Amino acid sequence: MLTTVLLRRLIFSIPTLLGVATLAFMLGHMSPGDPAIAAMGLDLEGYSSVEPEELERVREELGLNKPILVQYVGWLTRALQGDFGTSYVSTIEVSELVFEALPTTMLLLVMTMSVSIVVGTSLGIVSAIFRGRTGDYIARMIAIIGVSTPTFWFALVLMLCFAVAIPIFPVNGSFDEFGWKAMALPTMAIALHPAALIARMMRSSMLEVLSQDMIRTATAKGLSRWRVYMVHGLRNAINPVITVIGFQFANLMGGAVAVEFIFSLPGLGSLLIEGIYEKDILVIQGAVLVIGVAFALSNLLVDLLYMIIDPRIRI
Amino acid sequence: MTNSTHTKLPMPSVDTEYRSGWSLFAESLRKFLELKLNKFSLGLTLFLILLAILAPWISPFPYDAVDPARGLSAPGWPHLMGTDQAGRDIFSRVLYGAQTSLSIGLVTVIFGLVTGVSLGAISGYVGGWVDEVIMRIVEIFMSVPGIVMALALVSILGPSVPSIILALSIRRITQFSRVARGSVLSVKSQDYVTACHALGMSNTRIVFAHVLPNCIGPIIVLASVLLGNVILTESTLSFLGMGIQEPTPSWGGMIAKGNEFLTFAPWISLFPGLFLFLTMIAFNLLGDGVRDHLDPRGGSVV
Repeated sequence: MLTTVLLRRLIFSIPTLLGVATLAFMLGHMSPGDPAIAAMGLDLEGYSSVEPEELERVREELGLNKPILVQYVGWLTRALQGDFGTSYVSTIEVSELVFEALPTTMLLLVMTMSVSIVVGTSLGIVSAIFRGRTGDYIARMIAIIGVSTPTFWFALVLMLCFAVAIPIFPVNGSFDEFGWKAMALPTMAIALHPAALIARMMRSSMLEVLSQDMIRTATAKGLSRWRVYMVHGLRNAINPVITVIGFQFANLMGGAVAVEFIFSLPGLGSLLIEGIYEKDILVIQGAVLVIGVAFALSNLLVDLLYMIIDPRIRI
Repeated sequence: MTNSTHTKLPMPSVDTEYRSGWSLFAESLRKFLELKLNKFSLGLTLFLILLAILAPWISPFPYDAVDPARGLSAPGWPHLMGTDQAGRDIFSRVLYGAQTSLSIGLVTVIFGLVTGVSLGAISGYVGGWVDEVIMRIVEIFMSVPGIVMALALVSILGPSVPSIILALSIRRITQFSRVARGSVLSVKSQDYVTACHALGMSNTRIVFAHVLPNCIGPIIVLASVLLGNVILTESTLSFLGMGIQEPTPSWGGMIAKGNEFLTFAPWISLFPGLFLFLTMIAFNLLGDGVRDHLDPRGGSVV
């Protein structure tokens, strides 16, 4: 049963994945000027300094002298095999760069996701249970501040407080150098926004459930308050929250781009930004493609989770 | 009018009373302002807009006036928020930065709204393969996080104002088109639309005169929520060096510049960040208020 649905959803996501790939391909061909020049990491001023034979060789190598459709099919075939070309700036294969960066970003996203789910749901539950009282106001204030704080600015403030003024954590550095300490501040910085969003959703969803008759019944049965809130309340309130959590991937990745850059974490975000600074089109393409595919897959995961938690839902 | 012979059909008094759009809006606004929080958010928003508009008159220094002798001076007099490394007045630059952020935010949301709602309306109203194609494309664009897409686009098109607006709009277009499509679908099947068809109206007229005006609620809600969002993305772009370029002041760019002097001159990035934060608070609260006010499930007007 579950496998059939999984297969169907996988097949349905193929057009989207193809579309993302097409988008990444188009990015490389949208740049004004010669894609060969762009692929070599040069701008228009650099044009004159290139030997015509060298340019011709790059064109040949990139297949730029073939019709665009042939180029596209060729690029897609190679991309499917994990070959995104060789970066002209660093002369390293783009796939190698991407797969080196992937673990850092994944770790960061998993940590951020866990922190924001734990903090967000607890804040939301506290808010709903103490509706209209001090606890609620404090939790809601934290949530609105969290939603409104720019991630990159918060990252700088955290760095100033906990790496410069009170040097508990490193200012920058990778997981390999400093272990978990390197991830602490970036995680906090990225988690603030999604945690606040989850808290707001959790609060309103919980309030809706707590006003239902079954909660009164459960209370009347003499169950403890804890059991009423956690079993009867939370279980029925969690679904809309999972949807919100599922939509957080794009949010998190967006936050990760700036935060990885600020803390010099060698992840996909840093790779993308370096690619952008160096005008390394192939790296940009590779990073966009991998991020897009990861997003599509995470959507798939959320749908499945949804089905497991609420068997009434059939996709 | 009332004395005469046609008393057979008494007119229901409520429905026939003529209400101009303006008076409806005024009443809606009055109800909206009954909440203290809405008063606060609207007040803060208007205050920030006023600061942005009045920037040329109230800023004590030109935003690009360099004064190396006073470089990196701490907040005080005459530089209320201190100066940056070139001795430019942070306070003046923050005010002009408000102009940059708010205008780019507004233009982007309007552009996204017009394009997105048109696409969504076509998609929902026409249906069939047109709907399928448009929504597939929207889904593809939604698969790439907004900031990643914007960064990639700006890096390829170059960091000019039009390309920044285009890069920021793409995500908004997809969001607006989804919401517009959903509302159009639900309005399309209403009896009054069928009646319009029966009267022989053209599709264009039905869409513009009858369908879209009834979809306006969710679209306004989305627009008010997205304004803050766009301003945030713009400042992230500028922070990463792919947005508004120097010497035009932008909050994101100023924060990035201050990043280099964070340890001994934190005011350079602190104050623009604070204003960005205030703007986000204002727009987020306003967006929340508008949503609660217009959401049909909330049971209020519209």
